[in-house]
Amino acid sequence: MKIPITLQIALLAVGMTGFYTLVGQAVPQKEVHPPEVIEVAANVTTAELVEIGRTVFEGKGICQTCHTIGKSGALRFPDLQGIAERAARQRPGYTQLDYLAESLYEPDAFIVPGFVAGMQPANRPPIGLSDVEILAVIAYLQTLGGAATVTVDTKFVYTGGAREQDAAEAATEAVADAAGSEDEEPSDLASGEAAEAEAAGDRAGGDDG
Amino acid sequence: MSQKRPGVLLIGLGVLAFLAVIVGAWRLAVTIDDTMAFRAPTRSAPAVAETESGAADQGWTPREQALADEAAAQAEADRTKPYVEAEYRAVPRIGSRVAIWVVAQLHLLFAAFVLAVPMFAVVVEAIGLKTGDKRYDDLAYEFTKLLSVSFSLTATLGAGLTFMLIALYPKFTNYLMSVFSPTFLPYVLLFFAEAAFLYTYYYGWGKFGPKLHLFLGIMLNVVGTGIMFIANAWLTFMSTPSGVSENGALISTWDAVSNYTWMPINIHRIIANLAFGGSIAAAYAAYKFLSAKTQAERAHYDWMGYIGNFVAMCGLLPLPFAGYWLAKEIYAFSQTMGLTMMGGAFSWLFIIQAVLIGNLFLFANWYLWLAMGRIEGAARFKGYIWPLLVIVIACFAVWATPRSIIASTEEIQAMGGSSHPILGFLGVMSAKNTAVNIIILATFVSFLLYRRSNIIKTTARGAGIVKILQGLLILASAAIVIGYGIRGYFVDAATRIGFSVPQVSSVLFCMLFVTMLDAYLTRGAQATKTQWGRIRPISQYVLILLAVTFTWMMGLMGYLRSGLRLHWHVYGVIRDTSPDAFTPTLGYATKVVSSTVLIFFLMIGFVFWLAGLSGKKVGAEEEEQADAVANSTLGFGPAGAPATASASNTATASAASPPPGNRP
Ligand code: HEC
Ligand code: HEM
Repeated sequence: MKIPITLQIALLAVGMTGFYTLVGQAVPQKEVHPPEVIEVAANVTTAELVEIGRTVFEGKGICQTCHTIGKSGALRFPDLQGIAERAARQRPGYTQLDYLAESLYEPDAFIVPGFVAGMQPANRPPIGLSDVEILAVIAYLQTLGGAATVTVDTKFVYTGGAREQDAAEAATEAVADAAGSEDEEPSDLASGEAAEAEAAGDRAGGDDG
Repeated sequence: MSQKRPGVLLIGLGVLAFLAVIVGAWRLAVTIDDTMAFRAPTRSAPAVAETESGAADQGWTPREQALADEAAAQAEADRTKPYVEAEYRAVPRIGSRVAIWVVAQLHLLFAAFVLAVPMFAVVVEAIGLKTGDKRYDDLAYEFTKLLSVSFSLTATLGAGLTFMLIALYPKFTNYLMSVFSPTFLPYVLLFFAEAAFLYTYYYGWGKFGPKLHLFLGIMLNVVGTGIMFIANAWLTFMSTPSGVSENGALISTWDAVSNYTWMPINIHRIIANLAFGGSIAAAYAAYKFLSAKTQAERAHYDWMGYIGNFVAMCGLLPLPFAGYWLAKEIYAFSQTMGLTMMGGAFSWLFIIQAVLIGNLFLFANWYLWLAMGRIEGAARFKGYIWPLLVIVIACFAVWATPRSIIASTEEIQAMGGSSHPILGFLGVMSAKNTAVNIIILATFVSFLLYRRSNIIKTTARGAGIVKILQGLLILASAAIVIGYGIRGYFVDAATRIGFSVPQVSSVLFCMLFVTMLDAYLTRGAQATKTQWGRIRPISQYVLILLAVTFTWMMGLMGYLRSGLRLHWHVYGVIRDTSPDAFTPTLGYATKVVSSTVLIFFLMIGFVFWLAGLSGKKVGAEEEEQADAVANSTLGFGPAGAPATASASNTATASAASPPPGNRP
């Protein structure tokens, strides 16, 4: 018996569609869920912050879409291995924490040499991290080539704190007044914390990615 | 009588389907109720009244008293029920998102068809006007005949989509309307104009002066494109918003309209619509061919299918380039979004896309090879087909191999990076770029062979040299493409990005010059007959596979456009807080796409059936007349000189004349 043309065509259409559906089933299946709000208790320790930060970094922060940790070569985005130490000297006049905070809140304020702007502020959509989440990410970044020092109470200029450098600058000025020299290598004179972290980074050999 | 049966049956089925829709819609309406999950609470908690007092006073039983109190409490609750704006309403079972998704996609598919058909109908009509060949005019009319029902369906689906948006996503729809309210009046006016031009173009066929009629057709295209541009503004705004503040407050409607992806999508869509519309028209012809009773009918529909497919190919070849531009603008808007597309959640979608595109090229070539069967002189080219097949399949394989495109974030880095954030991603597509250029070249060669099959003897001077030159040009272009493709692996990305330029331009240059040489070569050449209708029926099934694949492609890419927003209604501005905010798996998405495609084919099948009805009555009367016209007036003896335009070439060189289209 001859199959009617209409039926033939229908079977063909169903067959072809079925094939494409099968291809669709053959690729990896991943469901992407909207990021969840991460609760941070008021009394978390720095170590806990680091863990939260890692989760955010790998999850809702989508940092890994662009950044790697521990890759070298001609990269499109800065590798974040050893960022803790680099942050302290990347930008003259900035402490490590100021630099990291600025990198996240205002990435375009300073473009890492050799790269092009392209990061969106982490506190704004579409990433839209909360301040405490960003704090946690910073804690985590501090462990990349250094040791975490921030606590839940650490404030940045973006979160109602003062730029650490401002405090440092005041100190610098005092020193400068005394020594008669102006603003030379201010980052060396930055807050003790950064110097400490840098030292810690050196010790750790900068490898825990 | 036996002829009548299927018709009656179909009408019966139609009535049943109609009833089913009514019942379904009614059931849906009563089940979308605020007790459904996901809906914002609209009713305060049912107040169960205190029933202590009063029972004894009135001599009521405690139960009566309780009921009375309950009723009173309910009345009070109803009176004071606060008005709460619903954010979302759910559709039972499939959920709001899938409901909107399917209706929107169906609307888009019909809209694409309605926009595409006039584009080539007008061109075909113009060719008819220029050459004075009536068959072109008839063909254009036959294409147009498919329009009017599709137009109504497009409008109906559009209205359905709007109502569903308002009902299911009230808050968000309201927002979108507030941003785009200035575009509504122009849209409505254009829509009226579209209807006016469409119907005067269709019903006025042969009744106006040919120039005026052509003008109507051109205006139909202009207006249709305008409508699409406006609608594209709404949906591109959702993906790549501009012109609003961070919280979504409107700053400038024009900025919202002319957002990053607006123009690229306008262009990509025009081309994709053309390809899709051509392939659907070809599928219509294939269906008619397969069910044709007479040789004349077969000849006509073979020719129509050929033209439809030719249109589809004209759209298909530039599509990848338009796609790259679109992707580039997405990167320019937001690297995060671009990387989500190419390196993140959606990278595997491009593997599926590669399979589809590979199939498109494979089917297109296959059709051309089969089509050589209708040309007597084609046998001598049979030997070329196998190598071409191998090339197309090899390129297909390269393209569809995950490793050749970015499959994960790691791979982006693994393949090295550039300091160019916008174009950088193009660079990693070295193999893919090479493959697509070679496939395009191979398809072009297939087409050339098809054209060449017609020619028995060339009279042009230096034909031998010209042929060698053509061969060399093609080889050189292929060598350039492959050479750069290989070198792409050894240089850094910044250099590699630059490689796609010589690759593309060498292919374009080659196609241009070889076509020009071919025109010279075939001028005044002695040609064989193209025996329209003498093609293996399997070719017609290939045309149908092409149409299904194009449709599926539209569905998949439509999903990509919407899916890219992830959990946002308007990316980065208005969040999706509904339960459907998650992004489904590709497996799930492809199932929805497939269902949509099948529904579309059911509906378009209905359109075709109607179009067939409208021609039937007159067709029978005109049949003989038509044959007479075909054989005498137009006088198709042995073909004269093929014209330069390939479509008109094969058409004028044809022996068997397709009968004129049927007029109501
Ligand atoms: C769309 C890609 C993208 C995403 C997503 C992204 N970044 Fe970046 N990031 C960049 C680019 C590009 C630069 C370099 C340009 C600049 O300085 O703004 C950069 C720079 C940085 C720097 C400074 C690096 C240095 O060497 O000084 C830090 C720190 C950083 N990003 C952290 C993050 C964190 C944490 C996240 C996740 C919350 C993140 N980035 C998400 C693209 C991205
Ligand atoms: C041969 C190559 C290509 C073909 C045949 C093709 C085809 C299509 C089709 C048919 C559509 C649907 C248009 C519509 O719904 O109006 C579409 C949309 C889209 N394409 Fe392509 N495309 C190609 C290449 C690309 C490339 C290379 C990219 C990007 C990397 C791309 C990105 C998109 C996107 C994001 C959409 C959604 C836009 C929309 O829905 O209008 N395409 N494409």
